[in-house]
Amino acid sequence: MVELSEPFLELNGITKRFGNFVAVDDVNLEITEGEFFTLVGPSGSGKTTMIRMLVGMDAPSDGEMRLQGRVMNDLPANKRPTCMVFQSLALFPHKSVGENIEFSMKITGKDKVKRRARVDQLMEQLRLPLSYYEKSVTQCSGGERQRIALARALAFDPQILFFDEPLSALDFRLRKALEKELKDIHRETGKTFVYITHSLEEAMVMSDRIAIMREGRIVQIGTPHEIYNNPKNKFVAQFMGEVNTLSVEKAGENTLRVTGFDDIFTVTDDLSDFTTGFLIIRPEVMKIGRSAADMKNKIKGIAFNDYALGSRVQYQIRIEHFDEPWLVERLQDEPYEGQRGDTVDIGWRPEDSILVSN
Amino acid sequence: MKASRSQNLSRRFIILWTGVVIAFLYVPMIAVVLASFSKQRYFKFPIQSWTDKWYQKAFSSLSVRELLWTSLSVAALVTIISVVLAFFGALAFARYDWKGRKLYQRLILLPIFFPQAVLGLAMLLWFSAIGVITSWQTAVFAHLVWITPIVILIMSIQVYSFDPALEEAAYDLGATRWQVLTEITLPILSPGIISGAIFAFLLSWGNFPLSLFTTGADQTIPEWLYAKMVSGYTPMVPTLGSLTLSSAAVFLLIAYIIWLAISARQRRMENR
Amino acid sequence: MAKTSQSNMSSWLKQPGVLAALPASLFLLIGFAGPLLLVVAYSFMPSKTFTLLQAPTIENYSSIISDSYYISFFWSLAMALTTVVLLFIICYPIAYGMAKLFNKWANLVTALIAVPILISENIRLFGWVLILLKNGVFDGSMQSLFGLSISGLLFTVPAITLGLVYVYLPFMLFPLVIGISMVPETLKEAASDLGATRWQIFREIELPLSMPGLMIGGILTFVLVLGSLAEAKILGGQAIVMIADDIESAFTFAQNWPKGSALSVLLIALSGIIVFLLFRRVDLDRVIGRR
Repeated sequence: MVELSEPFLELNGITKRFGNFVAVDDVNLEITEGEFFTLVGPSGSGKTTMIRMLVGMDAPSDGEMRLQGRVMNDLPANKRPTCMVFQSLALFPHKSVGENIEFSMKITGKDKVKRRARVDQLMEQLRLPLSYYEKSVTQCSGGERQRIALARALAFDPQILFFDEPLSALDFRLRKALEKELKDIHRETGKTFVYITHSLEEAMVMSDRIAIMREGRIVQIGTPHEIYNNPKNKFVAQFMGEVNTLSVEKAGENTLRVTGFDDIFTVTDDLSDFTTGFLIIRPEVMKIGRSAADMKNKIKGIAFNDYALGSRVQYQIRIEHFDEPWLVERLQDEPYEGQRGDTVDIGWRPEDSILVSN
Repeated sequence: MKASRSQNLSRRFIILWTGVVIAFLYVPMIAVVLASFSKQRYFKFPIQSWTDKWYQKAFSSLSVRELLWTSLSVAALVTIISVVLAFFGALAFARYDWKGRKLYQRLILLPIFFPQAVLGLAMLLWFSAIGVITSWQTAVFAHLVWITPIVILIMSIQVYSFDPALEEAAYDLGATRWQVLTEITLPILSPGIISGAIFAFLLSWGNFPLSLFTTGADQTIPEWLYAKMVSGYTPMVPTLGSLTLSSAAVFLLIAYIIWLAISARQRRMENR
Repeated sequence: MAKTSQSNMSSWLKQPGVLAALPASLFLLIGFAGPLLLVVAYSFMPSKTFTLLQAPTIENYSSIISDSYYISFFWSLAMALTTVVLLFIICYPIAYGMAKLFNKWANLVTALIAVPILISENIRLFGWVLILLKNGVFDGSMQSLFGLSISGLLFTVPAITLGLVYVYLPFMLFPLVIGISMVPETLKEAASDLGATRWQIFREIELPLSMPGLMIGGILTFVLVLGSLAEAKILGGQAIVMIADDIESAFTFAQNWPKGSALSVLLIALSGIIVFLLFRRVDLDRVIGRR
């Protein structure tokens, strides 16, 4: 039972240098068996380099990768018990749907009957019509191609399945549907999935745990819930979407002053170790107009713009001494009653703001 | 680690092999140039004594001047006509989507695949059937049949990377079809047009199998060389060979410089 | 009915593509299709006639078989096949290097290999004559370095093969480069990730996907060698007679146009069938436009 407590995939001090440029910098990570783990980061954060090393297409300059305790640094991609779904999907255009799916089994010399049985099973699981076996992959739709790529990887029976942003080229609706489908397949197969994407939103929907990368380093690891509620710093908070960010310093026992100004705001956080940092307030927790009039944290500004965001409306409030406009969001069916150009109160409850360090 | 060592080895092999093959391509040409400076009337290697008398002889010979003039006239005319024909031909090949394009693409390339000697003989029959006496002008016609498709192919490579939206945008901004052609299409495609012209000129300049049957009483340099070659060695063969070789090289160099200048200007414009 | 088909025709003609295709197409109709049809017509005329007014006959074709012309056909086919195989072996490593390894050097290598195409074939072949000649570059070097004379290299079948490989090398190489560079790296990575070895990647992914380039290169060189004239005459002397040589002497030396035409038609048909089979399997837009 000792083995079970060991991490399934373990990275110790993984570093990748290209000349003087450090693409991945001393990454330490543990992934448990059966987990849906997502690496999120903007382009250039090192996530693609990271996954290429994990799959075995690039070798790390430093550090150690272990799969079930076994070091796999020097194992080439074709000897690793892991497999990837490529961003381009990399479906073989000269092979049919069936031939693509059974590729890894053909390579290992499995007999035709067994191959076919497994392909049929996978096609059924991924809701691909069995008649597609002979169809050319170039004639399949975007969603079908995703499923074929996934089936091909599953046919390999990998211990870990890696995903390199396979959904990024799809339109919004199809992407949303496939995100959920992928999550279902993860549950059905019980395999370990490691996914990379630049969209935190996508990561939130699917993952058990998320690691956020920036400039080759991991900034924060946690469940979607933890990351949403307790972003570790300004970068993570802003990465989640549009937020109001204020540079603040400690003013009293539970009050903060906006750096360089006189505005004082109240928070519920413990400020005993705090000196300076950032106060993050999401647009959707903001109140505007009459409902903000008697709030503890409030400020006056001019509502100068509004945008329909589907189910919500976003207002931009210009506050005299701040450069950036303040963002406030309300539900579509309970809009702010004032006019454009009105001076208005906006405010929020102390417990709704998030305080992060530098 | 083992894999990368064998990869390094095959990499070295490929580089070495490429070097050997390139040397293989140039060795005979070097031999021709060396032979043209040999004093002996019969070629013997290593060369004992050197001379430039064959060149003096060639430059003062009237028949050599006539050969040069014929070759040059043919090549120049072929270049001009084939570039015009091929420019539109390449647009039809790669730019426009039209019914019948696939068939056109296949038919237009057929002459390239055609044995040139047979093509030359067929042209000879054709000219005699329609009552045209063969001369260097008929050779121009014959060269064009083979060279125009090649120039179409070369220009098409660039036309494929040409974004039709650029033409549409100019048209949308009020340009006439003619202005679109001169302001947008021609300047953008100019590197491809120049590459096509270089090929047209040099392929015509060096062509032998078509000229052999279609020049009639006129003679181009490659024809003359062939006639002398098969009838035994004379020092004028390497001399005239070296002369055509070096004039082709000079032409290529000049054309390359022009091509570089134009594509550099284009890149500057794009990066501006 | 007639009216609608007429308006269909005129609307087809108004397409810019058709207009652009017209000049070159018309020119080749006169300059290529015309002579071709004439050759076909002459091939059915009685032997040694110079007009098309005689009653058609197939005697030229039937006499080809009895006149042992099949020997020169055989030599042409054998030389073409040998050249294609040799060229494939010689060119594949270089093409791979140009497509995948040389990066910025690839342009220089391309230029160095392309330039000789632009130098008259005769001059380059004459260079080989100088090298292979008795007392030539090779023989002379051997004599002065080692004191042994190696003559008799010229006017042999290997000398012709050398000339053919030499002249047609770029025509195999460049299509091969395009073919190999059409194989996306990610597909090879994906195959490797799925457990394929280097040999399996070559056989399952690289070879089939670079096939269009390989086929164009192979067939282009095959057809060019089939119709080649100068190599066998300049480097081979009387060693063998290839079919283009036979055609030339039928037209010129023997003054037998119908016989020469019949031989030409056979050669054209042979090349034509091969090229047709190629074009049926290759999408030109993809190969030339790299789409």
